Amino acid sequence: MTGTTSVIRTAGLVKRYGSINALDGLDLEVGAGQIHGFLGPNGAGKSTTLRVLLGLARATSGEASVFGLHPWRDSVAIHRRVSYIPGDVSVWPNLGGGETIDLLSRLRGRRRDAAYRAEKKRLMEAFQFDPRKKGRAYSKGNRQKVALIAAFAVPADLYIFDEPTSGLDPLMEVMFRREVARVRADGATVLLSSHILSEVEQLCDRVSIIRLGKIIESGTLADLRHLTRTEVSFAVDGSGAASVSRVPGADDVAVDNGRVSFTIASDQVRGALPVLADLGVEGLRIVPPSLEELFLRHYGDDLRELENAEAGERAGSAR
Amino acid sequence: MRTLALWGQRLRRDWVQLLLWTVGTAALAYAAYIGVDQSYGNEQDRVALLATVMANPVILLFRGLPSGAGDGAFITFLIFPWLAILASFMSSFLAVRHTRTEEETGRMELVSATPASRWRPAAATILHGTAANLVLAVLTALAFLAVGLPADGAWLVGIAAGAVGLVFLGVGLVAAQLMRTSRGANSVSVAVLITTFLLAGIGNAAGTPSDDLQSMQSSWLTWLSPFGWGENTRAFDQNDWPPVALCAGAAVLLVAAALVLQAVRDVGASLVPERHGRTDAGPLLSSTTGLVWRLTYPSIIGWAIAGILAGLLATSLSSVVEQMGGDNPAVAKVLESISGEGDLAQGVLVTFFVMLGIFASCAAVQTVARARQEEAHGTAEIVLAQPVPRVRWLADFVVVGFVAVLVVVASGIAGAAIGTAAAGAEASLVRDAVVSGAGQVLAASVFLVLTALVFVLVPRATIPAGWSLVMLAAIIGLFGPLFQFPDAVTDASPFSVAPIPIGDSVDWRGVWWLILAIALGAAGSLALMRRRELATGG
Repeated sequence: MTGTTSVIRTAGLVKRYGSINALDGLDLEVGAGQIHGFLGPNGAGKSTTLRVLLGLARATSGEASVFGLHPWRDSVAIHRRVSYIPGDVSVWPNLGGGETIDLLSRLRGRRRDAAYRAEKKRLMEAFQFDPRKKGRAYSKGNRQKVALIAAFAVPADLYIFDEPTSGLDPLMEVMFRREVARVRADGATVLLSSHILSEVEQLCDRVSIIRLGKIIESGTLADLRHLTRTEVSFAVDGSGAASVSRVPGADDVAVDNGRVSFTIASDQVRGALPVLADLGVEGLRIVPPSLEELFLRHYGDDLRELENAEAGERAGSAR
Repeated sequence: MRTLALWGQRLRRDWVQLLLWTVGTAALAYAAYIGVDQSYGNEQDRVALLATVMANPVILLFRGLPSGAGDGAFITFLIFPWLAILASFMSSFLAVRHTRTEEETGRMELVSATPASRWRPAAATILHGTAANLVLAVLTALAFLAVGLPADGAWLVGIAAGAVGLVFLGVGLVAAQLMRTSRGANSVSVAVLITTFLLAGIGNAAGTPSDDLQSMQSSWLTWLSPFGWGENTRAFDQNDWPPVALCAGAAVLLVAAALVLQAVRDVGASLVPERHGRTDAGPLLSSTTGLVWRLTYPSIIGWAIAGILAGLLATSLSSVVEQMGGDNPAVAKVLESISGEGDLAQGVLVTFFVMLGIFASCAAVQTVARARQEEAHGTAEIVLAQPVPRVRWLADFVVVGFVAVLVVVASGIAGAAIGTAAAGAEASLVRDAVVSGAGQVLAASVFLVLTALVFVLVPRATIPAGWSLVMLAAIIGLFGPLFQFPDAVTDASPFSVAPIPIGDSVDWRGVWWLILAIALGAAGSLALMRRRELATGG
């Protein structure tokens, strides 16, 4: 791992609900100053992990520490330094949006001074938030904004976001990314759980992928890309598919729509380039692997199962 | 046809509930007759009671219009306002349920987008409410016929009750047009209902008694209230039908007003715009204690008002009962069995203060139950993710719950003091009120900590368990002495072991048990909270 000190660290973390292991030996490490993506489909254990880290749930076994403190016993000390936004934000139906923001900020010890008011105003304008409505009148996206504004209005050392942009429109997502960049520049650490790959790809410098309560892959995006293959293609022009055999490490060769395509391990791309130059290929396209592919590799089984189940259903209903 | 289809859908949704309302109303009428037949079987008793009532108009706030000592007229005097109030609650809730609630949840949009047009749901609701009141009227009339009262009076009582219900169907429909939320619409209807109910009572109390003290001429105030119209039909006495027409006319006007209002607004909109929230929080919202108070104070005020009424009745009635008990040995015996060896006025006060203790317990349970609602709704999560200790968070609900108990009991004692002054009763009653009140604070606190304990141990059971415990103990506390339950059962109810005044001293009863239970419950729930996780989900 990197030499930085870790802000969050878990080892063999297990959380059992009845007979179900929501977390099944989770090892997660988030270094100071990182924007760490916590990636996984719904039900993989993302929210459970965050709740254990915040002391809202108690680990069945294993170790966890935040700032070197025990999440359950020292939860108050941890919370003083953490801003958390739950996945599905609920607000009080009879409290105004502005009131809720003030309440949450004050609970975190923020005084009602001019600086706070200016910051609140700035954020409300940035997120185009109307603070005068009652909680019951807010849509999901607006409830999310209440929590986001309250979280960003008070400086924290660690920001924990559980699917932060699930109710926001694209414009607000841009505002969100801008705010994350701002707190990071101030030296904060961010843990961002998501199942939206593009979001993680744009924001995060490190990623941990969780599946069935375990971290199955963790590292920088560059690290993870080594695990996947880059797709290379060029136009069929004299040099046919046969010439590809000269490229070291090429695989999955195919000719389709007048283009030759093959895949190659991402760390072998550099070695392939002179060969391709020699071949004098035209319309060369090199597509780096997306997180999407990485993801599909780990969840491919689930996906196939799902497809099979759907196919079965369709066959069933056709009968 | 489409209107009928929508009516059918309303019937399917409501029939069990409406069955309970209508049969319940008829059952109340029947039970009232049986009760009166036993307690006031002979005419002399009834004549004496009516004369007493005329001298103490406070009673008229909660009863109808005296119209002679005949058994039918007497029973109508006692029970009619309550039959009418049941019909009214049924109707106004029904109206809001099928209009504003549907709109608020967006279901109305679904229906209005079909060829069923905008006004059809309203038409179906009107049909539905009218039918419900008709059933209520018929069942109530049948109850009176079943006990052998004359047919003309029986039908008039039933139809008058249903007609008052129709007026409140209209009130509910108009309120649903005015307010943005079903909660708001129900609040407006209930406020109108209580105001007009009290208006009729005050109007009767301010009326002119007849020379023989057997009937009362309502003052003009009564004629401002649908309840007053219903009462002025004087069933089994003069059998006046015109006031029923007054009800029907008002109902038609209100329904028409609702339809006109609906025609000029958008689906989902309201004529009274919803109040905006505050942009900035006041100083109260700086701590979780402030938050809990902010979330629970409206219901605490509600229980405090009930407490004032209980206290007011406790002392103003005790003087009446003293006169009445002298005339009626059966009543005296019942009261004595409740009050033990104390004198009668004290006994009545103690009984009413058990009621007060029940109100205080309800306020306490409702406050702690709020913690569970916060948890299930998800707002507890964002509070507990702040630097707020778990134990402190629960303790805030318990502390505010205890404040609620104190507020409700203090209101009761204040009411008792006012009642004493108004009725010119002995000042010692105020001392008795303070003693009984202090005892009920202990009893109510037991439910406070028990509910907190259930919240920590079995989160899902918090709300049902809290209310069931209060209800069970209330039944034992109120009726145990009357039906002579075994001591072991009676003593299980905190209400019946709370300290009470006896003569000039205090009967401490189970005071140490109560204190022990409170201490153990409070310490236990807070200690266990240290290890408790957030339990989200219904």
